[in-house]
Amino acid sequence: MDDLIRFSHLVKVYPPNVLALDDVSASFRQGEIHAVVGENGAGKTTLMKVFYGLVPRSAGEIFYRDQPVNFHQPGEAIAQGIGMVHQEILLIPEYTVWQNIILGIEPMGWFGRLDEKKARKQVQAKINEFQFNLDPDARVGEISVSARQKVEIIKLLYRNVSVLILDEPTAVLTPQEIPQLFAELGRLRDNGHTILFISHRLDEVLELSDRITVMRRGKMVATVEASTTDKVELARMMVGRDVIFTSRRQQSQPGQVVFEANHLSYKDNEGRERLKDINLQVRAGEIVGVAGVEGNGQFELVNTLIGLTAPTLGRITVSGNDLTHAPILERRRFISFVPQDRGKMGASLVASILENSIMTHHRLDERFSIWKGLLLNDAFARQFTDRLESQFSVSMASKFNPFRSLSGGNQQKVILGRELLLSSPFILLDQPTRGLDVGSIEYVHQLVLQMRAEGRAVLIISADLEELFLIADRIVVLYRGQIVANMPVETTSVEQVGYYMLEGRGETV
Amino acid sequence: MRQKFLTGISGILIALLIGAVIMASQGYDPFSTYLALFQYSLFSLYSFATTVKNSTPLILTGLSASIAFASGVVNLGQPGQLVMGALLATLAGLYIHLPPALEIPLLILAAMLGGVLWSGLAAFLRRAFNMSEFIVTLMLNMIADFFTTWVISFPLWDPKAFSPMTPQMDQAGWLPDIGDFSTVIFFMLLATAISWFIFNRWKAGYEWRMGGQNSLFARLGGCNVERNYVAVMLITGALAGLAGGLVVMGGPHRFIKGLGANYAWDGIMIAIVANNGLVATLLYGIFFSAIQTGALGMELITNVPSEISQVLQAVLVLVIVAGREYLNTLLDQIQTRRRARERTI
Repeated sequence: MDDLIRFSHLVKVYPPNVLALDDVSASFRQGEIHAVVGENGAGKTTLMKVFYGLVPRSAGEIFYRDQPVNFHQPGEAIAQGIGMVHQEILLIPEYTVWQNIILGIEPMGWFGRLDEKKARKQVQAKINEFQFNLDPDARVGEISVSARQKVEIIKLLYRNVSVLILDEPTAVLTPQEIPQLFAELGRLRDNGHTILFISHRLDEVLELSDRITVMRRGKMVATVEASTTDKVELARMMVGRDVIFTSRRQQSQPGQVVFEANHLSYKDNEGRERLKDINLQVRAGEIVGVAGVEGNGQFELVNTLIGLTAPTLGRITVSGNDLTHAPILERRRFISFVPQDRGKMGASLVASILENSIMTHHRLDERFSIWKGLLLNDAFARQFTDRLESQFSVSMASKFNPFRSLSGGNQQKVILGRELLLSSPFILLDQPTRGLDVGSIEYVHQLVLQMRAEGRAVLIISADLEELFLIADRIVVLYRGQIVANMPVETTSVEQVGYYMLEGRGETV
Repeated sequence: MRQKFLTGISGILIALLIGAVIMASQGYDPFSTYLALFQYSLFSLYSFATTVKNSTPLILTGLSASIAFASGVVNLGQPGQLVMGALLATLAGLYIHLPPALEIPLLILAAMLGGVLWSGLAAFLRRAFNMSEFIVTLMLNMIADFFTTWVISFPLWDPKAFSPMTPQMDQAGWLPDIGDFSTVIFFMLLATAISWFIFNRWKAGYEWRMGGQNSLFARLGGCNVERNYVAVMLITGALAGLAGGLVVMGGPHRFIKGLGANYAWDGIMIAIVANNGLVATLLYGIFFSAIQTGALGMELITNVPSEISQVLQAVLVLVIVAGREYLNTLLDQIQTRRRARERTI
């Protein structure tokens, strides 16, 4: 067995404390299409960036052709025959296809002038060699996204790259364009090229690749032969082998409707429909889970609910109050919100724990005001933070320490505590357990169930099916901006929801 | 807090050491030079009083920049706001005649109003046309500079003077000295205390700080980000305007050409050195003023040119800022390495 590339115990810590790769070992053979799959945040892209020299590794070794390598920048990797196509395409729109391809290693004619004829001919030869459907004289700004992606690939092939890394190449393509890309990648493999291919679309992965490596939460789960596995097994590995399907939910009768979205639609600036006619209700004492592969409208749904973007159509009401066009502060009277990204949306990392604890309360709770709301009541803020600390068992050295000094789990406890103490009727949770360790996840689940018992309406968005099956009463599936399924959790299965996530409302399994 | 103090002190010591090496390489005796420098700025009551008075425009524009930057507002218009404040204070002092107890507060308010008008214009352009205050405040600096020069060269020109300047204003608006100390210092300290109180104790100050650290977090938390932006622009404009007013009222008592000097840019530099901390701005402001003030005396008794003070300032900025950033990345790196080691064992 000749491994072309071998990763040995790779660790990557993003400063100060985020463990992106946790002891990853994997190997890739010459001449195979090897897919790396995992949920968002599983570490797929980081792994490839570490290999490619875009991100320095914290520990571990990489072997390429049995030699230890440590690329400090992509140029060194390309010189060794390794090239990466990124999710975002980086080309000069004003240049033609062939100009973009030769940029940086232009064939020179007399007196150091660019030999245009030769350059164009070389590019055409590469395109013919690999039978790509591409016009070398087209202006890059005027060609389709899929054609630009091909330009990126040819660009690397022109540099005689034999290992190609593709980061979610199908994410930007329409379904009709995908088979063509796959045919081209297949031809490349048959020519002896090695292709590493990041994806989270399992159908594609099974169709295209020879072997598949599954990652989960920064760890490598397994490498399997594509011919001996199926979607169900892959899905199970992606969400975790030890799937515990023992729900801790008590039976309960949901009360009246608290949250309601009617015909909610959102078109982005480019006119793409990100949300299509969303109709959703959450009752008091009910947990509704939103499942879906990331990028199918979850982000837009959260943003329209919390007020960062205005819906193009539709209505949002909470407890009978129309919040469709309400300012954020008005919404916050009715909505507790835990965002998925603690550092970007949920907290200020450099501010103290106290300062992070009182956000929103300082506006909604009279007791934080003295001098007619001009001054912040410091004594009460301290008291409040102490209460939050004990009630949600946050372990902290001092409430005046910066928020970033807390561990991820404790950070999330502060944010959850802050939001739940708002005692609003509707709770919106966006990936509340992302990046947490098992103990903290358990705690968050308990808390959410407790909120349900108190009669609050909870909407939880999660990429983790295991989590949704553990705590939700109903599961809705978002697929390409639409709700394609809305089922009580008792009447469905992980396999069925997984199918809806990947296929939308197609035939049944 | 203690760590900040230590990095500040050690930064200053290292910078002085580098400055000494530079002086020695030029053939000057660093020890006697430093002695002269600090004799004329810190070591006697009179020289200390002069240093503190000279620090006033540095500290007030520094506070203006610190509050703006810490709130995520890129107000770089302190130079323009300073001269506009000085102009309005001069105008009020020329045409309004009241007893000192009323005249002085009136002139102070006029100075702040001048700064507010200028920063408010930038805030308005941002709100109405979404023009970045970064570029607008910089451009308004030019306009204020040429506008005030025109005012003192033509409509308000003092015919008795040889260079562009206004006549002297009503004596009621002059800020008196008490012993060695100018009362300018009192207004500077008062403004500093009020700024600190608003920034650290008011609800608005809390929202400004949170917005500056993470504007999306503040917005999602229900803070009125747009209103806070305008408030910060206005209050930082007022501080810079006040700096200009105090320069006029405590000094030449008229608007003379080149009045704004380099105060505001030095103030912005101090804000950066102080990492936008208000107390740190006050302390660094006094220290930088000591170097500038002492340089003149140093030139008198040694043959070291006063320009060496600019070299010293540059070294200070580089050492303190670079040292702080390096310390932070170093701490991060140590933690990262520790974490990585935990995972591999």
